[in-house]
Amino acid sequence: MEIKQTAIAGTLESSDIQIMLSKGQSGIQIDLESDVKKQFGDQINAVITETLKKFDIDNVKVKAVDKGALDCVIKARTIAAAQRALKTVDQPAWEVL
Amino acid sequence: MAENGERLRRTMMFVPGNNPAMVKDAGIYGADSIMFDLEDAVSMAEKDAARDLVYEALQTQDYGDAELVVRINGDDTPYYHNDIKAMVKAGIDVIRLPKTETADMVKTLEKDVLAAEKEFGRKEGSTHLMAAIESAKGVLNAPAIAAASDRMIGIALSAEDYTTDMKTHRYPDGAELQFARNMVLHAARAAGIAAFDTVFTNMDDTEGFYRETRYIHQLGFDGKSLVNPRQIAMVNKVYEPTEKEVENAKNVINAIEEARIKGSGVISMNGQMVDRPVVLRAQRVMMLAKASHLVDEEGNYIEK
Amino acid sequence: MYESIVDLNLTNSKVRAKWQAFLKSLGIADFSDREVDQIDFTIGIYNGDDLVATGSAAGNVLKYVGVCNKGVTTGSRFNAIVGELVNRLFQQQIFHIFVFTKKRYSESFQHIGFEQLGDTDVAAFLEMGDPNIHDYLDGLPKVPNQQYQQIGAVVMNANPFTLGHRYLVEKAAKQNDFVYVFVVSAERSLFTADERLKLVRAGLRDLDNVIVVAGGDYMVSYATFPAYFLPDNVTATDYQTALDARVFKTQIAPALHITTRYVGSEPLSKTTNQYNQALKRELPPDVQVVEVPRNQDQTGAVITATRVRKAIKAGDLSNIIESLPSSTYDFIKENLHELQSRIMKGMNIDGN
Repeated sequence: MEIKQTAIAGTLESSDIQIMLSKGQSGIQIDLESDVKKQFGDQINAVITETLKKFDIDNVKVKAVDKGALDCVIKARTIAAAQRALKTVDQPAWEVL
Repeated sequence: MAENGERLRRTMMFVPGNNPAMVKDAGIYGADSIMFDLEDAVSMAEKDAARDLVYEALQTQDYGDAELVVRINGDDTPYYHNDIKAMVKAGIDVIRLPKTETADMVKTLEKDVLAAEKEFGRKEGSTHLMAAIESAKGVLNAPAIAAASDRMIGIALSAEDYTTDMKTHRYPDGAELQFARNMVLHAARAAGIAAFDTVFTNMDDTEGFYRETRYIHQLGFDGKSLVNPRQIAMVNKVYEPTEKEVENAKNVINAIEEARIKGSGVISMNGQMVDRPVVLRAQRVMMLAKASHLVDEEGNYIEK
Repeated sequence: MYESIVDLNLTNSKVRAKWQAFLKSLGIADFSDREVDQIDFTIGIYNGDDLVATGSAAGNVLKYVGVCNKGVTTGSRFNAIVGELVNRLFQQQIFHIFVFTKKRYSESFQHIGFEQLGDTDVAAFLEMGDPNIHDYLDGLPKVPNQQYQQIGAVVMNANPFTLGHRYLVEKAAKQNDFVYVFVVSAERSLFTADERLKLVRAGLRDLDNVIVVAGGDYMVSYATFPAYFLPDNVTATDYQTALDARVFKTQIAPALHITTRYVGSEPLSKTTNQYNQALKRELPPDVQVVEVPRNQDQTGAVITATRVRKAIKAGDLSNIIESLPSSTYDFIKENLHELQSRIMKGMNIDGN
């Protein structure tokens, strides 16, 4: 699916992650900012990628600012950002949750 | 009513639904019930994100034995139906309806919940309900609301909106809530469900909190809604049974056991027949005593 | 503990006084109308009755961010305030956000996903969101084999495009293989950004090695930089011009392989002259600055866009026909009433 508009979800507060999605041309490109990038960067990117793929989003630029979020938070924020970017907030993607 | 009397509901801790730090840690404080809030604690722009967050947390986080409740947005908002669907799909224990004013609102909710259970293949009837009473109309209709559905497990008084509706505000002595508290409590008891008292918001007034908690304990409320985990231990302390209460309860439990061994249908103690309310109270006291770590495995009082 | 963020209504004098006192305690002293009037909304965090954090947004610029860390994890309130400002701007469909701040706070912003575009000894300029500087640079037409070419640049507001501008570009075009002409995109001029860009393109159409592009958000009309946070001993113009020059030097020039920047000499405008001096200070050695003396029209008068705008106001185009390419002159003639009505409605024509 195509990103319809740039969108953001999540906050910069402890245990959260801020995810920004915008139009991209070359796959899922993730730019991650995190204090634990060395240890968990791959894992964080994997959760984001996997969630976006469930939405069939293939081309997107992702800017993620992690503040120590658990996987479930990363997934939740990616879902919220994706639905906002696809303008489908009112029709939750039950199969992705 | 749904499995009332089987669980303690002394503390219902409010957790803002869009705050990951609090959502993730909600299980560590030992609250009897955890209420994830999608309503007043979440701004309109974040309703979707909060719903997603609570949903995903429920899939992965361990909240122990706590009863998991979610306060959804009312049916006059565009979030109501999606809140219900998401939370039913997530397998939440209890859906709490805010600003409940009529039994019909509960019946409508019940219908919507049943539809969601069917849609997501959840066992029909497994999602329980509770209603928050937040207006004069709600208070006057409390008996009907409490009895509106077999799924109901409790009703709660929510004093901020209620006092606004009554053209007053909250006072330290709580006189303005007297009628509402008694209505809600009576409605709950008549319907055989739990009664939850409102939150106490002044975090610095420990004495006031104890005073109010002792008061609602005396009235007979099952417990209190809380916004700060620090208040959990304080409520539990108020709800601790005394040594004498525990001893009495132990005697009743022993009498039940004796009757069972004898194969007698009549429970007697000190030559008197023990009737059902006494049995229920004894069971509840023992449950409280165990939760407060006042008794050992066998139910013997632990001397301090 | 959970701290909630509230709206601060600065039109309420009590709230305003508290807000101002709090920021003053953090070393921010400039609450002039020029800075404060542009604020669209302000948020804050209270601890009891005390304001402990605040932030504002003016258009797509974050301003007056101030935080007290007493009793909480350092950074938590800062993150909460900036996060909320960003979320609210996104809700308003503003996806590209800037911040100008004291240099020492640059890192805090970078830590939460902002990218620094340039900095000076005292100040830093950062952005977040989409499209960013990389998108802007990627979207510009590129000169083939740019590393082997001599490439120059001219930045102009062109309000409107005159033969003076053309003279400057011609000089640059003669001395280089290619010349980029950046037209400032900010909407603060009598002629709209679209009109200015169109007239620049029309007036330079015959020059094959000239590439006219919109300056986007990065050829900032430097006068718009907020300056409220500066220490007393730094003048706003010095900082604004220096910061603008650094962005050009560190972001724009390397991406396009620009090695010379051309500016017109400024006998008449003090601020523009200051700007030229700042460019000469900041850009070399990476980018050479060539100052081209202003040309004169046949009557000997220096050609300036200011003179053109005054003529529009007066409704007498006879004196400026010699100063303009026919494309600009025709446009003005056709749209004279519209332009005059903009001036009537209060558009300032004395600036740039």
